[in-house]
Amino acid sequence: MEKYRKYLPAAIAVGALILIWRTFFSVSETEFVLVTQFGRPLYAATDAGLHMKWAFQSATYFDRRLRVYNPRPSEFLTRDKKNIVVDSYVAWRIQDPARFVQTVGDPVAAEMRLHDIVWSGLSAALGAHDLDALVAPGGKVQTGDLMDALTDLTDRSALAQYGIRVADVRIKRINLPEQNKQSVYARMRAERERIARQYRAEGEEQALSIRADADRQKAEILSAAYREAEKIRGQGDAESTRIYGQAYSKNPRFYKLLRTLEAYKKVLDDKTTAILSSDSELLRVLTHGEAGAK
Amino acid sequence: MSLLRRFVWGILLLWILSGAYVVQTDREAVVTRFGAVVEPRVLPGVHYALPWPIDRVSTLKVRQLQRLVIGGEAADMVLGKTQPLASQFLTGDQNIINMRVVVQYSVGIPADYLFRTANVAQTTGAIVEAELARRIGRSDVDAILTTEKLAIQDAVLAAAQKRLNEYGAGVKLSTVNIESVTAPPEAADAFRDVASARADTARIVNEAQSYANDLLPRARGEASQLMESAEAYRTAKVNEATGDADRFTAVAAEYAKAPEVTGGRLYIEAMEQILPRIRKLIVDGNGNFDLSIIRRGDVPKNP
Repeated sequence: MEKYRKYLPAAIAVGALILIWRTFFSVSETEFVLVTQFGRPLYAATDAGLHMKWAFQSATYFDRRLRVYNPRPSEFLTRDKKNIVVDSYVAWRIQDPARFVQTVGDPVAAEMRLHDIVWSGLSAALGAHDLDALVAPGGKVQTGDLMDALTDLTDRSALAQYGIRVADVRIKRINLPEQNKQSVYARMRAERERIARQYRAEGEEQALSIRADADRQKAEILSAAYREAEKIRGQGDAESTRIYGQAYSKNPRFYKLLRTLEAYKKVLDDKTTAILSSDSELLRVLTHGEAGAK
Repeated sequence: MSLLRRFVWGILLLWILSGAYVVQTDREAVVTRFGAVVEPRVLPGVHYALPWPIDRVSTLKVRQLQRLVIGGEAADMVLGKTQPLASQFLTGDQNIINMRVVVQYSVGIPADYLFRTANVAQTTGAIVEAELARRIGRSDVDAILTTEKLAIQDAVLAAAQKRLNEYGAGVKLSTVNIESVTAPPEAADAFRDVASARADTARIVNEAQSYANDLLPRARGEASQLMESAEAYRTAKVNEATGDADRFTAVAAEYAKAPEVTGGRLYIEAMEQILPRIRKLIVDGNGNFDLSIIRRGDVPKNP
């Protein structure tokens, strides 16, 4: 006995270390620690930092971080009996480790339970609306509100049953089943063709109206110019007539003589045959001699 | 014994010194003590934390942008690696479009980034994808393809950032960039035709515009030509009349002085001009002559 006494301090030191090791435990920011006594959960240490327990109690660590679970995309029926493929995600974390460990135990099992809750929730939520309301310009049904309600529902049920906090249930994608897509493509093509035709017709309309407008303006410009020009010509004619009248009225007899002679020069050309009397003013001298000049 | 003591002190000193650490310039550090955060944000420089196993220092490259792609990488798409489903979105008017979106994010709050979510990339991706699909599901295909792209990017960025903050993920989104939006191959030709119809429209309208631009100046030129020639006509007319009138007035004044002589002279001068050109038959003053001489046509021509 005496012989082993010298090992006593070392043994005490080792014992103390083990005791410290079993008594103190640290809780990380990312974890919950569930303290159990012979398999029975006692309490959960949720604050990060150093904690103490009795050496005979044991600690189980749970990841408390937010996880994102992506269920497989699955088909749902809308109220108007149309199939849609919905891809969603669930953001969740462990809230109540004691309940969690008793009911589900590990994250994979938890996700399976969540899948069931979310699936039935989505099925009910989407089944209450027509496709045209769920997917519509401007959004007739706010899918955001729909999902907020579903998140609440899922959260309440998951927390009560499994100690899981559901932070969010969101639709990642609403799509159409493969077999429906061909008809969608056909509709899209038809719609595009209509739009293209409309564009072309509108272009034609615009072009025609531009051309017609130009033609009208041209006609307007030219006719207005014609009107002005004729007015000016008329002024010229009137003015010249006035000038002539004023001048000629001073001596109408002389004007008549002058003008008649002038007219003769034009009227009488080489096709004319004049039968002149020898008694005429011009020829009298020819026939009667000097006496004819009188 | 003193050697052993010195050795023990040495070990202790080394242990204490092992708490010193350096944070590089592009990083920030978070210090936890027994798992609890004590220093949520340690800036670059030399620092000291209590040595293992008390404190733990986690460093993060806070400025480094992480990149994730929604809708499959372009290279993978060419190689046919990704499913077309990944890139297909349903628009508000129930058209299907293919999209590829690149999200870039960095560390916002280091402690949250490290400890709040199990998988930062997966969480961020899911949130952005959900927000994106929601916006797409509320917009028209035409708007998405043309005008609304930037607005959608901004809206998705804002909404996703808000949600990330709600989750306390400590992520800071820097860009949500719609890299490509295309019509599905099954309807692509029809979409291209719309684009070319739009171009055709612009071309037709431009042609009409150029027709108008050509026509109107010409018409205006023609109009001013008309006006000018009318002006010229008026001026000419008035000048001619004035000239004629002046000449007449002058001659008339002279005529009035000796009407008999001047009248006779003018008459004879006119006859001088006229008679040489025309055929003439001079008949006897009593007026008897045989018209047949005209008919026979043997009248001599002009001298």
